[in-house]
Parts: sequence; C-alpha cells; structure tokens
Amino acid sequence: MARIIGGIGASHVPTIGLAYDRGRQADPAWAPLFDGYKPVAAWLAAEKPDVLLFFYNDHATTLFFDCYPTFALGVGERFPIADEGAGPRGLPDIRGDVDLQAHVGECLVNEEFDLTFLQNKPIDHGVASPLPLLWPHTPDWPGVVVPIAINVLQYPLPTARRCYRLGQAVRRAIESYPKDLKVVVVGTGGLSHQIHGERTGFNNTDWDLEFLELFKSEPERLAAMRHADYVRLGGAESVEQIMWLAMRGALDPEITELHRAYYLATTTAMTVTLYANEANAIPLAARTVEAA
Amino acid sequence: MTLSNPELDGIETLAGTYPFDLRICNRTLNFNRFFWNMIRVENREAFWSDEEAAMSAAGLKEEEKALVRARDWLGIVQYGVNFFVLEKWARVVKKSNLEVYAIMRGETFEAFLSTRRVPESR
Repeated sequence: MARIIGGIGASHVPTIGLAYDRGRQADPAWAPLFDGYKPVAAWLAAEKPDVLLFFYNDHATTLFFDCYPTFALGVGERFPIADEGAGPRGLPDIRGDVDLQAHVGECLVNEEFDLTFLQNKPIDHGVASPLPLLWPHTPDWPGVVVPIAINVLQYPLPTARRCYRLGQAVRRAIESYPKDLKVVVVGTGGLSHQIHGERTGFNNTDWDLEFLELFKSEPERLAAMRHADYVRLGGAESVEQIMWLAMRGALDPEITELHRAYYLATTTAMTVTLYANEANAIPLAARTVEAA
Repeated sequence: MTLSNPELDGIETLAGTYPFDLRICNRTLNFNRFFWNMIRVENREAFWSDEEAAMSAAGLKEEEKALVRARDWLGIVQYGVNFFVLEKWARVVKKSNLEVYAIMRGETFEAFLSTRRVPESR
C-alpha cells in the first residue's frame, strides 16, 4: 500500500530557477535561500520517497485563460519543463507514473472532484522552480511526480476549504494504491508577495509567521479564510497559499515541523518547510485496523 | 466592473490591486493571448523583427498597441492583463521582473531596490 510520509511547503519564485541555472548557490545574496533547502533535500535523500505529489499552479504557460481548469491532474511518463519566454532550461523532463496518476485521477473523480486531465503537457516554474532544489537531476530525477494544478490566477478560484478537502481526498487515493510506494506531498507558492499594480512589493512577515503556525496547528482556521483575506494579509499573489492547504489536507491532523527556512530578499517571502506525519507514515486505514 | 464573488468582498478597498476575474479576462482575452504567445520562439522572433506587424497580426486594438509601444506596464495591468502572461513578454523585451515591479510602483529601479532587504539578490 502506498503511504504519505510527509509534506513540503516550498515557494516557487521563478528567480530561484534563474539563480539555480546561473550557479548562484554560493552567492551571499542567494545562499540563505539555497541553504534553506539543503536539510529538505537531505531528508529526501535519506527517506527516498518514490513519489513527489505536487499541488502547484500553471502560470498561464501550458494553459491559457480561454480554457483554464480549476483542478487538473497531469498524466504522463514524462513532462517537459516549459519554455516561459526565456528559452528552455537545462533540466531533464520530469518523470511520471501513468498507472499511479490514473489511479489518483479515478479516486478523485469518484469522490466528486471533477478534474481536468493534462497528458504529457509541459510543466512550468510552479514545479520546476523548487524541484531541482529538492531532488538531484543527474543523470535523471530519482523518482516520479504526480502534478495537480490548481487555478490561483483567474477568479473564481477554488476556496481554501475546497483545496484542503482536495488534499484529504488525495490522501485516500494514495492510501488505496496497492503498490508499496513512499509519497511526499508538496504544496508550492507563497508566502507573502504582490507582483502586480502599485501595491507590488507588499510583504507581511508577521502574517507569514502566523500562517506557518496556523498551518501546523489550526489549518481549519486557514481553510475558513476567504480569498480577499489572503490578498489583504499577504498580497494579491499570496492567495496561492491555498495550495499549501491542499498539501496540509493530505497530512495527519497532528504534524511535526522538521524544518523551516524563511528568506525575504526582494519581493517574495521565500519559504521552505518540511513536515512529518504524526505516526510517520502509518496509513490511516492500517491504524484503524489496529485500533479495532 | 461587477464583483459578485463573495470570496472577494472587500478587495476593492485595496488600492493598487486589480483582481483578475472572468469578466475582465473575457474582455481582454485577445490582449492576454498576445503576451501568452511569447512562450513560442516564432512569436518572440516575429515581435523582435517587426513589433507593429506582430501586433497587427495578433489583432490588437489601437489602445492596446499604444500600451505596448509605450511599454506602459502599469497601464497594461490596469487594462486587464494578468501579470503571469505579461512576464513572458518582459523576457522578450529583456526586462527583469524586478525592473517591471519598480515601474509599476512608479519608482526608479535604484529607489525600488533600496526598499528591499537584500537588493544584491537582483
């Protein structure tokens, strides 16, 4: 049986990818960001999950607004990394597992999450910005990705609560998969930032830190917040933190925060966090059996 | 503009914020598509070789062409373009996101950077 062993929250600022590609890992202005990811990469190298399941958003790259799904699941053995206007990056295609992706899709649709399916489509910095900081990629990625795209660009967006429930359904989907796979769920985006209009450059570190505390211990309060609340507190584009809630929904009610790095350099509060499930990976179904 | 989405109640009080919704996007779909198309190399090359011809081929309205000619980043956002397609065009005209941010705030690049915690991470 597949099981979720933990979760990762990670900003997906495109500039991280640019700095990575330019080899600025040791540059004093960037080292705090890259060093912040190292404990998470080390944990992944030690735990060796087979799967990273990403809740991410497409930045109107693979999908345009004339056909922009609320929730979309990527299906494919390989996903190219998208050209977003600056040409291709030197990274191998992201690996997939069609049987697992199809299973997750079937479970979610049967639970009334009426997904769109994207087959073999390119994936943009919503995944590709943090991925090489989490996993090595030479000669190839060590595992597969299940990509779930969430509309955080064109209102109406799914509510925070709907994203939280999506995560809960994803957990049931993973735990009903018969193969013995280790899965880590990743929520990308955030934290505070606004990058359009005269309010560009808005940040709110107090709110960011409060968000991280609520995320750990009171996710229900975050699920009850409206989009306008996120925009007011963290800036317009921070509404994408509803994708973190999807990740949270796939974890235990009680989680342990193993790592947190927070680096606000210019306009986005770049953050990476690592969470372990309370029972470190014992599936809920198995625990129910034990309790009975 | 009609905002009838209760999830967005109160957002109109946030100055300098332009929520991008279906009503706006439907009005500006073609202009948004012009910027989105910059993910393809042939569209980038067409723009580099002849901006006016590229804009006409894309069916831009005169008001939209004027915004592009003027490199009026804030005006384009206020007109109803989503920043995430706009940033694709920023790559084409060789502007970094930070430079665009400064312009949208009405600041010089240096003045904007001086408000940031680690301006060296530009």
